[in-house]
Amino acid sequence: MLEVLGSKVLHFNLHFIGVLQLFSQTIIGAVTPPFRIKDIIKQLNFVAVESAPIVVFCVSFAAVVTIIESSFHMKIVVQNDALVPGFAALLILRELGAVVSALLVTSRVGAGFAAEVGSMQITEQVDALKMLGIDPIRFIVVPRFVACVLGGFLLSIIANVVCILCAMLVSQLSLGYTYGSFIMGMKGFVKFQDLVFASIKGASFGAVIPIFSCYYGFKCKAGAEGVGLATTNSVVTTSVAIIVIDFILSYFFSYFY
Amino acid sequence: MASPAIELRKVSMVFSGNEYVLRDVDILVAEGEKLVLIGPSGEGKSVLLKLIGGILVPSSGEVIIKGKNLNRISKQERDEVLRSMGMLFQKNALFDSLTSAENIAFPMREVLGASEEEIENKINLFLNAVGIPQARELFPDEISGGMQKRLGIARALALNPEIILYDDPTAGLDPITSRMIIQLIKDLQKEKNSTLVAITNDMMRAYQLADRIAMIVDGELIITGNEKETKAHKDPRVKQFISGLLEGPLTELN
Repeated sequence: MLEVLGSKVLHFNLHFIGVLQLFSQTIIGAVTPPFRIKDIIKQLNFVAVESAPIVVFCVSFAAVVTIIESSFHMKIVVQNDALVPGFAALLILRELGAVVSALLVTSRVGAGFAAEVGSMQITEQVDALKMLGIDPIRFIVVPRFVACVLGGFLLSIIANVVCILCAMLVSQLSLGYTYGSFIMGMKGFVKFQDLVFASIKGASFGAVIPIFSCYYGFKCKAGAEGVGLATTNSVVTTSVAIIVIDFILSYFFSYFY
Repeated sequence: MASPAIELRKVSMVFSGNEYVLRDVDILVAEGEKLVLIGPSGEGKSVLLKLIGGILVPSSGEVIIKGKNLNRISKQERDEVLRSMGMLFQKNALFDSLTSAENIAFPMREVLGASEEEIENKINLFLNAVGIPQARELFPDEISGGMQKRLGIARALALNPEIILYDDPTAGLDPITSRMIIQLIKDLQKEKNSTLVAITNDMMRAYQLADRIAMIVDGELIITGNEKETKAHKDPRVKQFISGLLEGPLTELN
């Protein structure tokens, strides 16, 4: 029993050190030349532009559910749903927009990265890069990292704006609040800094996606099972990391209110 | 013997636990020499090639390429040494998102920063040299195994390397294509007088290609010599391997 536990702890430590090493090398690669602008743009298209429709679609429904549920519960608890616009806007900007969009990007982009890098690893393409004196981290991870940070930042803004617009629409159609009264209700609860913090969260969530995905891709074992395992591990670990980072950032940002 | 292009001194490689894949391997490969590595599967031939290619770092010992110890030089020097080598990987390692032409252009564009005109000329030159000009705009998964090998060879040669490493260049190919690939490798080697280290378990191809043959078994490197010397080698493991006998020390090891 102790042996198994010890082995798990050792494995966790090894992974943790490996991820930290990859993260530090990626940061160094991202801030020092050469900058692979073409690759970054290509990845940004994959991360942000191609993910935008699914993010917009899903966060719209999340906003609708938030408004309807908030109204339902407020009517039960305080017999009044006048606070719904403000409360919903606060929830959307502080949590919903950034977290939901990051989790969606993880399932789409993170899984794609892990499978792509994993398949490069097992078909020796990563070795071929090393043989040419090309650093695989600079070539593979850095453009994806920069694209995900920018993409996470942009998608969180888009997600928040879409969420708020949907919440306004549903409030008017379902609860009878005009756009003007919704905005007035919002003003009492949220500030511009909420959007800034949400964007910082989006960028931070974006940063962890390529790190975990590429890490598990580089560790990928041969065979279809190996690629599948790398993909699963990367999505699960990134999702957990996003939730933990969300807590840490929320706690940190609470000092600014 | 001419000055060594490759020198391995007491190289050992240990993977998980204490299991030695290679133990105290010493070898000198002269400039322009063709060395072929043979040996049972899983005995460390590809590991040895990757150690020479700088892809893996030995657990102990020294890998010296053209007089430079790979683990004692700066990253810049190391990159330069690595660029003087080309490698054909066992699974070809072709970039599957790039066409055949782009695969050949990739090292020249990324490493040399060559002009587009120069790259274009080289693409035509290499595709013709390996006999697949028709595959120019096709992706690796759209061409046959033999053509993929040829493309891999073209990409390995793109930086005009002085040392070329071939990891099982005839694996999975029919006998005629295998023979053609080996002949192509020999012709290209002769043209540039490059140093060559290749892995193959096909003894006919090994004899066709090698100046010298070495066998890796149980982590040990046995230099068996040229074709005649290899055939007359007294080590029972070598005898069993080259004859493909079912009974002998190698099958007892398994």
